[in-house]
This record gives sequence, structure tokens and C-alpha cells, in this order.
Amino acid sequence: MEGAASMEGAVAPPLSVTPLTAPATPGRPVLRWASRARTVDGVAAELGKIWSSISLTTPGEHGDPERRVAARSSVMNLVVVAGRGEMGERTAAIVEGLTGRHPSRTLIVSTADPDGPAWLDAQVQAHCMLPSPTAPETCSELVYLTAGGESGQHLAAIVAPLLIHDLPVTVWWPGEPHFESRAVSELLTMADRILVDGSGWSGDGLAGLHAMADLPKRFDVEIADFALLRQARWREAIASTFDRPNLLPFLYYLDRIDVRYAASDGTPGMANVVRPMYHVAWLASRLGMSVVSPVRAGAEAWSGYDVVLQLGRRKVPVTLCPVESTAPRGTTLAVGLHAVRNRSELAVDVTAYADGVVVRATLDGQAIPERLFLAPRRREAELLAETIDAAGRDAISKDVLAMAAVLVEK
Amino acid sequence: MTRAAAPSAPPQTIREERLARDGKRKRSAAHPEVNPLREGLRLERVPDPHVMVLFGATGDLSHRKVIPALAQLWRTNLLPSDWALVAIGRRPYDEGTFRMDLAESLHKHCRVQLDEETERQFLDRVFYHRGDFGDDAMYDSLSEKLEGLHVEQATAHNLLFYLATQPSAFPTIVGELGRVGLDHEKHDGGWRRIVIEKPFGRDLDSARKLNREVLRVFRESQVYRIDHYLGKETVRNLMVFRFGNGIFEPLWNRRYVDHIQITVAESIGIEERGSFYEETGAVRDVFQNHLLQLLSLVAMEPPATFAADALRDEKLKVLRACGPPTRQEITRDVVRGQYGPGWVGGQPVKGYREEEEVDPQSETETFVAARLEIDDWRWSGVPFYLRTGKRLARRASEIAIQFRDVPHRLFAESSTDPQPNLLAIRIQPDEGILLRFGSKVPGLGLEIRPVTMDFTYGTAFSVDAPDAYETLLLDAMLGDQSLFTRADEVEAAWAIATPILDGWLDMPAPDFPSYAAGAWGPAEADDLIERDGRRWRRL
Repeated sequence: MEGAASMEGAVAPPLSVTPLTAPATPGRPVLRWASRARTVDGVAAELGKIWSSISLTTPGEHGDPERRVAARSSVMNLVVVAGRGEMGERTAAIVEGLTGRHPSRTLIVSTADPDGPAWLDAQVQAHCMLPSPTAPETCSELVYLTAGGESGQHLAAIVAPLLIHDLPVTVWWPGEPHFESRAVSELLTMADRILVDGSGWSGDGLAGLHAMADLPKRFDVEIADFALLRQARWREAIASTFDRPNLLPFLYYLDRIDVRYAASDGTPGMANVVRPMYHVAWLASRLGMSVVSPVRAGAEAWSGYDVVLQLGRRKVPVTLCPVESTAPRGTTLAVGLHAVRNRSELAVDVTAYADGVVVRATLDGQAIPERLFLAPRRREAELLAETIDAAGRDAISKDVLAMAAVLVEK
Repeated sequence: MTRAAAPSAPPQTIREERLARDGKRKRSAAHPEVNPLREGLRLERVPDPHVMVLFGATGDLSHRKVIPALAQLWRTNLLPSDWALVAIGRRPYDEGTFRMDLAESLHKHCRVQLDEETERQFLDRVFYHRGDFGDDAMYDSLSEKLEGLHVEQATAHNLLFYLATQPSAFPTIVGELGRVGLDHEKHDGGWRRIVIEKPFGRDLDSARKLNREVLRVFRESQVYRIDHYLGKETVRNLMVFRFGNGIFEPLWNRRYVDHIQITVAESIGIEERGSFYEETGAVRDVFQNHLLQLLSLVAMEPPATFAADALRDEKLKVLRACGPPTRQEITRDVVRGQYGPGWVGGQPVKGYREEEEVDPQSETETFVAARLEIDDWRWSGVPFYLRTGKRLARRASEIAIQFRDVPHRLFAESSTDPQPNLLAIRIQPDEGILLRFGSKVPGLGLEIRPVTMDFTYGTAFSVDAPDAYETLLLDAMLGDQSLFTRADEVEAAWAIATPILDGWLDMPAPDFPSYAAGAWGPAEADDLIERDGRRWRRL
């Protein structure tokens, strides 16, 4: 369908094969190929052409002919389910910024015009980068796929033939996947990993968390949640308190956990509490706690959520408490821990502060020197890069998600 | 009640075992030794608050390597916010001029430039302390300054000393630190560590003496002897490559390996360090440390764990299995050379004896090649050829594992014999791994041609790898000694290098210069390997 020319969020390149010979600068990606196709077979053919006809010679720094052998990076397939409109543009910008980092083939899939007839439009690109002045250029393929009409409901059928075989497949779903839907199921059967951001899900996010926790039972897939990755510095801050040998034993005598989160507009029920929930799930999973009573919303507005955990013989009440704040809704503002051991009392308070978190603790009322951990908010591009780097299994995520599933049990 | 899977320590008693079996086990709350919240946080870990004290802060090494590495760690939030650097030097700077000087070095040498605000924050944590390394008063005032900083910067009495000075100053500094009690670790958690730059000693005796002097003040667990080669990505990857892959280790022995070549070649000369190099030479500068470290990493047995001592125990065994070379072996299996005038990279360059601050009759070696054997079950009979030199044809460092020929020539009709397989681990430049194997040339005949499978780091990971100093500094701050050499390891390496140096003293004066700059070393180096029917790899 020619209607594809007006697809959302993309500047349509000419419908011709374009090998590009701009000079390369080390460390900076350069577009080496741009073409277009309207069928899956056409896309596959264009991808094949890149490596048979891409120019091997590009001008040198001073315009001299210079031979650089371009090699395809062969690390992984990245499938980005960009949804519609702005999401597609945002994810495309992030993925382009990562060119040369790892993925060997990236498919950015968008849907359009769901009620119209079926059509497909694809822009096929190769971005190359010189890792160093003496090394050959390495290239990644980037395919923008827009599926119109009914095609948009069968993304897996479009994606499957375009994956490089024998390479791992990572699906990045920046929006809110409906984990029980057919579309998700079809894509996850071919995926090794799925990347999501639970902090952006609608409502309190707990239903999504519950559904996501069920995925490992249905698919052989790893889950990475940016919301959990963003809390790395919080975990470090909390853990560091118990690096002190005299405080370490208190970990097993915790008798209260309080997490305060931002609920800025006076409607706490609507704040996404995935992030506060992950703090509780992390502590519970690391300390081998069990869940006595799963999360329950309080009876009144602003009463937050309650959980009861068990640590050894001790029941540990946990509260997730909404606090009026200018921070984005659902942001963790503080984590408080309380423990009593041999009549000694330890209180730890980890509070968000500008570009970091501050740990304050008192032992029997005596203040322990506070510590600041810098933790500037990490952008999606950094989190995506980090997740791609950590290609192996992440024990923390696995345990935390498993515990989160138990915590939010219906 | 729902129970989630939890990480757990193995049961210690019958009762615990029974409770564990019944799913009722609780953690031992009495004496937990390991912080369970630390599990899986290795990459997120920020070192404890501390003050780093840098001796030789105005020197070249500090400005080119150490301080830019610290700035990178700061930029990436890997340093604690409660951190300060006390820079000690002899030059008459004040805080302001030193920071300005430092800013200039950061602009010149930083891998990734810091933004203005980050640079300001970093420089605000740098304090200059002027003084002579042998002056008692300097250490007294340093001690006072550190006390003040611990209060102001909340650095919890943790101290990391870094000696980036001339080696001759090491004993004095260590002794003075002991005198003022800055080595004492406090009961309230304040740790003290010392990083010592290479060269660690000039020979076996001086290394032993230095070890004694250092260990008189610090315990071995506080000492971090740095060899920056061990912090390089490819060198660290060598362990992952060997012990993280199942297919290579079974081949890694005398049954399949014909010989191993380790090359650290430099195209640069001595670069205005004539007086230093005159006292050092290639054996002390590279052979005793970088080359022998690479040798021990490539030849060691798999360690039982990745803990520092387990790793260093295995490396030590390799060095000990090499043993000190005999006089006969030195004459036969070690070659030295010195470059004369020549051409490098299309430019004419001076010979070593014409360099500044170099004796016109100098006998200092700028090249060394050696054939070593490791007498153990794994490597007996497999020669290891090591070479390093200045002003060679190009800068290239690699480890090449040459496998044996196939036992039977099956393709008799082929006009070429299949070449034996080769595995080359490139350390610099273009870090990567290459595997060479034979392949049939397309066509009606049965010609065999060697082809290569080439993994280049840049192809798979176009990420900006940290500099070796960043890796090693962070490890020292975190208390991880894995990539630092232990006292016995240093001495074992000197036990190999020292007889070579001593042996040369008794031999007739060498006929130097023995190779032209831009060549691959003297002809004797080729003879060394060719008499065994082998050749140096062309790099």
C-alpha cells in the first residue's frame, strides 16, 4: 500500500538502494546503507544485498581512498515493539544511539491504521562504526517495520523470518505489554529475553507485575525490568550499612520495613508502586523471608499498602506509604529498616536526595556517620546498553521477580 | 503461607539439615559472616569512604594514568562520595595551582572528558601536600591533615596509599608511614592499603629486601603490587577464555600444543627516559613482570576458586616450575639485543646509544628473547618463546598457541600440507582472538589453504573498555587482590630474571647495536627459535 509513505514518525527515504560512502570517524556511527521494502521477503533480500554490495572503500580522513572492510556485528537480534506514534520515534532514537554497541540486527516494529487493509513498510539501514582508527568498520542492521491493518496483529509472523538464526533474541517492550495476549505469547516463544519498564505501567502496576512473574513458567525467557535496574544504587546503599560487622547480625532481627513513595496528586491508589514493591521483594529474597500475608491496599485513601513477611520466627510488618511529593508518582522516597537484637536497637533510613541517596542509621540512638551514594537517574539508553551488556542470567532479577510474584499474589 | 525460593548456606548440624529438608530451616542468626544483601552486587559496589594518598603526584605516571583513571571512576560514580585525594609532591604548588595543573592533565589524558561540573567536584576533593619523601616532618603534618580530612570528608579512617614514585623512595615512604602509625588498621573498621608500582626491586635480592621492608610495616593482605598489564581487558579475558569455555582447556597441554609464543613488541623508543632505561633494560622493564605474568596466566592450572590467593597460588606454581635458568641455558636460550639507527613508521630514528642520557658505549639491552620450559605434567617438553623489545617494526602484543601437526597426512594429493592450527590472543592493538585452521580451496582439486576465524573485541563489543588503571584502582579500593602480584610471586619471577642479568655480567661484552630500529630484533633471536625448526610469528 502506498499509504505507507505517510507512516508515523519517520522520514521516508527514497525507494532505492543507497550505499553511502561518508568518511568514518572512530567511535561515531555512520549510515552506510539505506533502502526500502514492502514485503518480508523484500526486507530479507535487502538485508542480503547489504553484505554483497556495501562499499568496502570509503574516503579517508583527507579524502584519500582508503579501504575498510566492513564486518557485520554478530551478537544478537534486538526486537523493539515500539507500538504507535511517539513511542516509535523515541525508541528509534535510543537504538540508533547504541549503534555499534552490540546488536547485530535490530527490528523496530510499529503498528498503524489498525482498521485499514493489511500492509507492510520497511526501511532497511546499516550503521557502521570504526572502533579505532586501525580496526575495520563494524556494522549493525536496523530495520524499521511498520505493519498496517491486520498485519499489525501478527507481528511475530513478520519478525520470525527476519531474525538471524543461532543468535539470541531480545525483545524490548517499552510500553505496557499485555502478558496474557496472543501477540506477547507469539513473540516470547522466539525470545530469550524480554526488557520492560514496570514503572510505566498503568494503575498501581501490580497486576502487570503478577502477570509478568508468570512468564518464566510459560516461556524459556529471561526478564529484565528497567524499574529494578534503576534501583541498583539503592541496593548498594542499603547493603553497605550491613557491611559493618557490628550491624550485620541485625539483618536477621528486622522487625519492620517501611517504604515511602511519591503520590503527588492526592490519588495514591493510582500511583504505580512497582518500584517500592521491588525494594521489599529484594530484601525479602536476599534474607530468605517468606510471605505471611501478600500485599493489600489500605482501606482508605493515603493508607498505602501492607504486607506481612516472616523472618525466622519473627513476623515483619511492611508498609508502603504514599507521601505527598513533587517527585514523579511512584518514585521511592525512602526505605526504613528497624531491628532489635539483644536489647540493642538499629534504625536505618535510606532517603532519596537530589542526585543520590543518603544512608542514616542510629544504633541505640547513637548516630552512625551518614553516607551519600550518588545515583543520577539513568536514561533508557544507558539501561538498555547495560542490559545488553549483561547478557547472562541475573540472579538478583530472577529472585526479586519471583518474590515480587509471591508478594502480589491475588 | 507462601514461601519463596531463598539463597541459603548449607546446613551445619543434623538439626539444621532436618529443618532444611522439612522446609523450615531458618538462617543462623547468631554469627552471620557474609552480608546476604551483597550477593549479586559486585558491579554495583561502591568502595568504602576513604582518603587516597598519592606519593609522586606531580610525576608523569600520576598525571598520565593514575589521576585520569580516578577522574573516570568519579565520572561514572564508582568512587564513594566521601572520598578525597591527598597528592604528595616536592614541587612548590599550592592547592589552586596544583588543581589547575591537574585540570590540564585531565583534558589531555582522560579517556572520556568530564563535564565542567563533574570536573569541579572531582578537583574539589584533591588536596596538595608538599614535602620531601624522606622528611619526618612531612609525615607528621600528613598525619594531622588526614585526621582533619577524616572528620571533614567522613572518610571513616580508611586510607589507600599509592606509591607512584621512583622505586628508590619505596622503602623510605613505607618506613615513614610505619613510624607515624598510618599503617595501623583500626578496630572500628578503618582499613589501610598500599599500592606499589613496578619495578618491584632490581633483582632477587633487592626484591626480597623490599618485601621484607614493606612487610615489616604492612601485612601482605594490605599490599597491592601493581602490574598494569594484569588490568588490561584482554589479559583478564584470557582467564575467561580458558576457564569459561569448555572446548579449549582439554587441548591446553603438551599432547596438543607444539609451542607457545608470547610477544610484547613496542615501536617506540625510550622516549626521554634515557637515564631510567640505562638502569633498567628490557629484562627488568618488561620480561620480569609483563612477560612472566602472561606466561603464568597462559600456563597455570585452573584455580579452585576465583579468589585472589587461589589464583596467585596457581600462577606461582608456573613460575616455580620454570625455575632459575642455568648458565648453559642462558647462553643457549636467551638472546639480548640493542637497537641501532633505522626507520620506524617511515621515519628515521636514532639508535639507542645516540639517545639522550644514554652512554654511547651502553650495554643495556633493549630487546630480549628467551626459550623457557615449564617442568610439570601439563607442559613438559613444550617450549615457551618470549620476546620483547623497543623500536621493533610495530607495536603488537600477543600470545600465540601453536598446536601440533595432524598425526597423519590424509590429503596426499594436495600440493600444500595443512598448516597446524593456531590460536592467537591479541592483547594490543585490535584486541581479539584468532583461530587458524585449514580449509579446502573451492574447485575440482583438493587444495588446502589456511583460513582464520577472527574475533575482534571491537566487533562484538564496541564499548569503551576501561583503562587498566581504572580496573586496578577500583579493585584496590574494594580490597580485591586478584590482579595484584604477591610477594612470593614477585620473588619467583626475579628468580628467573636475575640469573640472566647476572650471567650477562660475566659474559663478553655484547656486539651492540645488534638490530636496526624497525626490525624484529637481532638475527640471534631468529636463530633461537629456528634451530628448533620453528619461526617467530610475523605480527
